Amino acid sequence: MTGIADGPDDWVIDVQDLGVQYDLRLTRKTTLRGSFARLLHHGQGDRTFWALRDVAFRLVRGESLAVIGPNGAGKSTLLLALAGIIRPSQGRVTVRGDVSALLTLGPGFDDELSGRDNILLAGAFMGLDHGEMKDRIDEIIAFADIGQFIDAPIKTYSAGMKTRLGFSIATAVDPDILLLDEVLASGDEAFRVKSKARILEIVRAAKAVVLVTHDMNWVREFCNRAILLEGGHVVAEGEPIEIVGIHQAHSERVSVQKQPEASRLPAVT
Amino acid sequence: MATRLEARTSVITSRISGPLQLVIEAVGEIRSRHRLIRYLVGADLRRTATNTALGKVWWVLDPLMYMAVFTVLVTVIFGRATPDYPIFIFAGIVPWKWFATAVEDALGSVAGRNKLIKQVQFPKVVLPSAAVLAATYNFAFGLLAMALLLIVAYPHRVSVYLALIPVVATVQLVLTFAVCLVGAALNVFFRDLRLVSGHALRLWFYLSPVLWSFEEHFQNAPPTLVSAASFNPFYTIMSGYRDLVYYGRPPDFVALAVILGASLLAAVLGLLFFKWLEPAFAKVL
Repeated sequence: MTGIADGPDDWVIDVQDLGVQYDLRLTRKTTLRGSFARLLHHGQGDRTFWALRDVAFRLVRGESLAVIGPNGAGKSTLLLALAGIIRPSQGRVTVRGDVSALLTLGPGFDDELSGRDNILLAGAFMGLDHGEMKDRIDEIIAFADIGQFIDAPIKTYSAGMKTRLGFSIATAVDPDILLLDEVLASGDEAFRVKSKARILEIVRAAKAVVLVTHDMNWVREFCNRAILLEGGHVVAEGEPIEIVGIHQAHSERVSVQKQPEASRLPAVT
Repeated sequence: MATRLEARTSVITSRISGPLQLVIEAVGEIRSRHRLIRYLVGADLRRTATNTALGKVWWVLDPLMYMAVFTVLVTVIFGRATPDYPIFIFAGIVPWKWFATAVEDALGSVAGRNKLIKQVQFPKVVLPSAAVLAATYNFAFGLLAMALLLIVAYPHRVSVYLALIPVVATVQLVLTFAVCLVGAALNVFFRDLRLVSGHALRLWFYLSPVLWSFEEHFQNAPPTLVSAASFNPFYTIMSGYRDLVYYGRPPDFVALAVILGASLLAAVLGLLFFKWLEPAFAKVL
């Protein structure tokens, strides 16, 4: 368990005592989440569960933090809390600077609208300044590389085109703090190379990065710090190589234990 | 570099602001995100305009056809002879369609953006607001259709009181906004609401004096029934429109003021309710 990292004064993200609680009575589509809740907290009843609990860390300018852990450990929830999309049930998150979150690709496109209209709409949702969005639109269209389809409704797009446009919109911002969630492998090979280069460019330009991924190569290559989340708690924090080692040791142990435990799970509504 | 409009340092805590603060916050969000609302309204209007062969003509044509259907139903099938019946019901149908469209669109407005809500942080109150505003645009076109009908077919019904339509419409707008805020927030948790709403709206439609009025059709109605009916805010609103358009006389200003006051209170409570539930949206969707 880690306390608050007493870093230097130029921190950009400060997380104190963060807890996020889900109320399962309200979420009917919770088979997956609910099963993790039961798996992790069978003693506490079925109604609520803590996706994150007692999480504390501080991110300093220039740091690139990897968040790793098994499925359902609360990694994505942590990013949602950092992005302000989910309000903490406990504790506080303080962020200095502009945050851009690349959480999943192909976001809430409006199928009936053209690609161009969707770009402007997405910009408005993200709170981007209208004039600068207009300036950027050609760049976004060029990067997405979807040709004349840009003025056709999104419903006529192929899955790959949607992904490319989504990526292109989401990375059009140059944020101070970048939150990334497994968006690294997307599109065809050519676009994957292009998007990886773009992400690296943003990672370098950003003051701080928080990256959630299962790709340990990324962690080792691009992050200078890592935390390991398990069951909503930070179980280890430190050098990426060290944390990746702990994570891999844990997952081997868990995969051995999990089979008998999984068969005991009650059916979830 | 694209810049953001939000403040530079943001503190996110579990602390929930006081009621007054929440309402002020919501009003501030609507004002600061007016461009987003405008985009959403534009998107909504373009959707209907680009998917149909006649496009924008439908905005005027649709209420006319609606009116034609009800005129056939009531005058031919039920054999009710009301003078100038098309304009009689037009005065009620156009505002009712505004309300019904706004409510139905607003109900799905938050739940329908579930992907976006889990991806981008933005004030969710813009969604029902945009739905109400888009319906208001359609209402304006409905009024245009009504103006055409009045001038072409019923020039003798044209009066100066038509200029007061915005007054009644303002009362209705506030009421609609209140209903939409509560509906949009509740529908996130209970999707059943959207299934019920169509039937509930239809019942409300028939209970409100849209196709009928006590004055024209049920003169012998017991006074208790009339006073019971006037508890329905749409009783006052529909009677107001009809006074202006059909009878060419001033509406019941006192009753309208009462409805406006109640609607304003409801809208404030609606904003509060919406803001109170907002933090749970991203978790539930």
